[in-house]
Amino acid sequence: MREITYLEAVREAMSQEMRKNDDVFILGEDIGVYGGAFGVTRGMIEEFGPERIRNTPISEAAIAGGAVGAALTGMRPILELQFSDFITIAMDQIVNQAAKLRYMYGGKGSVPMVLRTPAGSGTGAAAQHSQSLEAWVAHIPGLKVVQPSTAYDAKGLLKAAIDDENPVIFYEHKLLYKTKGDVPEEQYSIPIGKADIKREGKDVTVVATSIMVHKALEAAEELEKEGIDVEVIDPRTLVPLDEETIVNSVKKTGRLIVVHEAVKRGGFGGEIASVIAESEAFDYLDSPIKRLGGLPIPIPYNPNLEKAAVPQVPDIIDAVKETVRFK
Amino acid sequence: MAIEIFMPKLSSTMEVGTLLQWFKEEGDPVEIGEPLFEIMTDKINIEVEAYEEGTLLKKYYEPDEEIPVNQVIGFIGEESEEVPSSSPGLSSDSSSDVDDSEDTREGAEENVASQPSGEVDVEQNEKVRATPAARRVARERDLQLSAVAGSGPKGRVHEKDVVHYSEENQGKKITPLAKKVAENEQVSVDNLTGTGANGKIVKDDVTDAIQSATGSANTSSPKKKKLAGMRKVIADRMQESVNTAPHVTLTSDIDMTKVKELRSQLLPTIEKQTGLRLSYTEVIAKAVGVALSRFPSVNASLINNEIIYNEEVNVGLAVAVEDGLMVPVLKKVNSKGLSTLTKEAKDIARRAREQKLQSDELKGATFTVSNLGMYAIDAFTPIINLPETAILGIGRIQDKPVVVDQTVEVRPMMAVSLSFDHRAVDGAPAAAFLTEVKRILENPFELLA
Amino acid sequence: MEKTLTLPSHITTEKLKDLYKQMWLIRYFDEKVDQFFAKGMIHGTTHLCVGQEASAAGAIAALQDKDKITSTHRGHGHCIAKGAETDRMMAELFGRETGYCKGKGGSMHIADLEKGNLGANGIVGGGIPLAVGAALTSKMKKEGYVVLCFFGDGASNEGSFHESLNLASVWDLPVVFVCENNQYGMSGPVKEMVNIENIAERAGSYGIPGKAVDGNDMVEIINTVYDAVENARSGNGPSLIEMKTYRWKGHSKSDAKKYRTREEEKEWREKDPIQRFKEVLIEEDILTEEQAKNLQEEAKQEIDDAVKFAENSPEPSTDTLLEDVYA
Repeated sequence: MREITYLEAVREAMSQEMRKNDDVFILGEDIGVYGGAFGVTRGMIEEFGPERIRNTPISEAAIAGGAVGAALTGMRPILELQFSDFITIAMDQIVNQAAKLRYMYGGKGSVPMVLRTPAGSGTGAAAQHSQSLEAWVAHIPGLKVVQPSTAYDAKGLLKAAIDDENPVIFYEHKLLYKTKGDVPEEQYSIPIGKADIKREGKDVTVVATSIMVHKALEAAEELEKEGIDVEVIDPRTLVPLDEETIVNSVKKTGRLIVVHEAVKRGGFGGEIASVIAESEAFDYLDSPIKRLGGLPIPIPYNPNLEKAAVPQVPDIIDAVKETVRFK
Repeated sequence: MAIEIFMPKLSSTMEVGTLLQWFKEEGDPVEIGEPLFEIMTDKINIEVEAYEEGTLLKKYYEPDEEIPVNQVIGFIGEESEEVPSSSPGLSSDSSSDVDDSEDTREGAEENVASQPSGEVDVEQNEKVRATPAARRVARERDLQLSAVAGSGPKGRVHEKDVVHYSEENQGKKITPLAKKVAENEQVSVDNLTGTGANGKIVKDDVTDAIQSATGSANTSSPKKKKLAGMRKVIADRMQESVNTAPHVTLTSDIDMTKVKELRSQLLPTIEKQTGLRLSYTEVIAKAVGVALSRFPSVNASLINNEIIYNEEVNVGLAVAVEDGLMVPVLKKVNSKGLSTLTKEAKDIARRAREQKLQSDELKGATFTVSNLGMYAIDAFTPIINLPETAILGIGRIQDKPVVVDQTVEVRPMMAVSLSFDHRAVDGAPAAAFLTEVKRILENPFELLA
Repeated sequence: MEKTLTLPSHITTEKLKDLYKQMWLIRYFDEKVDQFFAKGMIHGTTHLCVGQEASAAGAIAALQDKDKITSTHRGHGHCIAKGAETDRMMAELFGRETGYCKGKGGSMHIADLEKGNLGANGIVGGGIPLAVGAALTSKMKKEGYVVLCFFGDGASNEGSFHESLNLASVWDLPVVFVCENNQYGMSGPVKEMVNIENIAERAGSYGIPGKAVDGNDMVEIINTVYDAVENARSGNGPSLIEMKTYRWKGHSKSDAKKYRTREEEKEWREKDPIQRFKEVLIEEDILTEEQAKNLQEEAKQEIDDAVKFAENSPEPSTDTLLEDVYA
């Protein structure tokens, strides 16, 4: 199979769909000839023209609401927010409009839109351009939340998100854009709400999201040398969450560690830990659940500080060792 | 100066205590509140905590020795302190006068009541630090988590600890019935192979073993067990009662028709109030209590050639426990309603079986009821629980033909047996008392008045 | 008698009579709602447009059926004017299963997508970007409809207003922004909250036409909105119309109206839009006094029937709680 980057996979998912479906278009800041802040839409305006690759003013509220209004009236917009931090400015349109309309109108109308946005630290962009705020949107009934970790998942999940009749928040990770993976050329869809076991193991379940999937896999490689067999689960979508896969894994291993880049306090890891504590997997837990997440600080600028603010491979290794110590 | 360790007096009737074990060796450091030794009184096993800190300097007695109350049994002090080589006798703080004073008794009772050691054990049982998986496996294998040593931090029990424990103790997995049979027949289960689920030993395994053992009885010597602990206490007390109190036993049949009616009418109400089911025991205890309040000579204690007419009517309930018998007390029975009595009776009986009674719950009975009604027993000759003057034995309730108004009717009849101490009571008042019990039980609705 | 009235051709004599009755429907509807709130028969909150009937009835009269509207928290008039059934509206306010939102939306969320009503909105300024999005759909799919976007003087201070006017302007979208300036944003007098004479002047900043009109004058409203809508339909982009009007009632229930004088209220009552419209119609021989009275009676009867319908409708079952939930 052919290898392409995560960024190319996102672009390909959009381009292939746009060639088939005239209702799909992209709007966002600097997505035209500039190609978007991270170059995801590069080359697309040349193929699809400025009508469908709509460069917008710097007006996150209006373009988010514009996407909602267009979706409500029959289009399938893909909104690109340059940085996921900017969702703060679009929040009313996402939370009070997109998420609510169908239910509060008594089941009438739907908002088939995708909000794509890059999250995460590691680029030195500091406090206002490095956050991972997925727990905010995951908290809102009416928003689906997707966090692909690989090129393959990105393409298949974006296709599913575009096809979805309801709003999907699609979190890309800046540091993953350049990562490569095997991706089929043809269109394919990965169901939203299906976790992926990225590595099978029997000693401990590590549920990791986005870039932390890769760090967890790296940690698992190291731990294998010491005879510790780590299972790595990538939920891929936070809402809806594939609870079954996680519960079954924890029933098998009896141990759970949740790792995300987002600040640990109030992070989605708490939700996953709670799901396990409430599930039948509880009776199989043989060690306290551990959460690894970002420190409760704004992401700092200095590269050493920035790295230390979020979980790294050695942190995961330590956590696993502590969790399996009484195996 | 070294501090005496003495045999505490834990109840008004306690004269000697049996040392069961020391928790410390000579030379060990001791902290205030640490369990120091365990004794058995005539009523209860109890751990005694150190009142002082220091080093255990001397132990004068070994386990299984009977020691009079207030006898010095050891010393705590500074490491190099000199202490006598044999027990100096009674504790210097005690005298026979003080001994009998209310203060000392209450003080002793308080010591017992505030003994946290017994409770600590209970708590450790209920609040074992264990993972959910360890709990699940313990549940599945019917194991007490408290028996399992935890390998995790702060002694946390993990799944593997339970599995190991379970595997090591595999031969001992046994149903309660099988265990009882084995104990009654004094058969060791160590070498039995269980045929139940997961190799659990069931009753048949034990009876098979007994049969094969009796076949070769000539070759094997019978199992022996030293009279000790509670068994010894029961033996001594029964012997004393039979030797000193001239027993007379009166029997009678009581028509329980109306008690049955009363019970079936009150049952749902009381169950709603307390969540517990009213049983005949409570109705009988209540009837006995009311009758006792009208017959002071039966509600009396004979102590040191004095008959003491007790003001309170406190009925002891004989409860069979593992390897013995305990008599927890329902206080002021005559003044309590059936709902309260149900709650209290179930509670003390349960805790008696679980060996979790406080020592004051075993004290102060003025009369005892012994119920064998769950067996095929009619009348029997109960032995008086001294210094009480009488005991009522309850037999089964059985449908029998009786003549009522010249016709034969089938009625639920209950046989009762009253043993009384003829030193304190004579036949006529005892008979009148039993007649009153019968009268009340045949007209039980007056108990609700 | 010579007719002096100049109106768009689709505003026939019959239509004028309907509009007169429609204004009464709006007034009786909100008066009834006011009464029920006072009696505690309706819960939650509501915002009444008594006194503002002309801006709803007149502006929407200028539209074609295929045109769409977005509405506000003070939206009962817009709903009725866009053709909503008063019985299902009333049922919604009663929280009944037969309501427009199956009892899940209430006063602020009535939508009627089939009739082109994209919904009232509980967020001040929240609906403005939606209108822009719907206009984008019209343009991209060449559907030929115009979106009439209602909002209040208060919303004109929200970022979404400014972002949306700019976005609609740079994209030449078929949307007409209608600012119903009823003099107060809740308790805030417009003169203290906006430092220009006419909100319509704000259009200049975005390079679009702006015009302030007498918001209690049906004829002026119909003609002004008609011109703006047809201009937008012809591809000439958006415009802003400010309707100067007055709400007779408080902001919502339990408003003591301490921020304004009774004299001021009296002055505006004398500019009653319904009375003024009736005078025009009688002067133009379109209506007699008696016919006017009959139309008013018919409107009253329809609202009474709507109340009966609402009262006799079943409460929604709690089984419906999770209906129309997708995430």
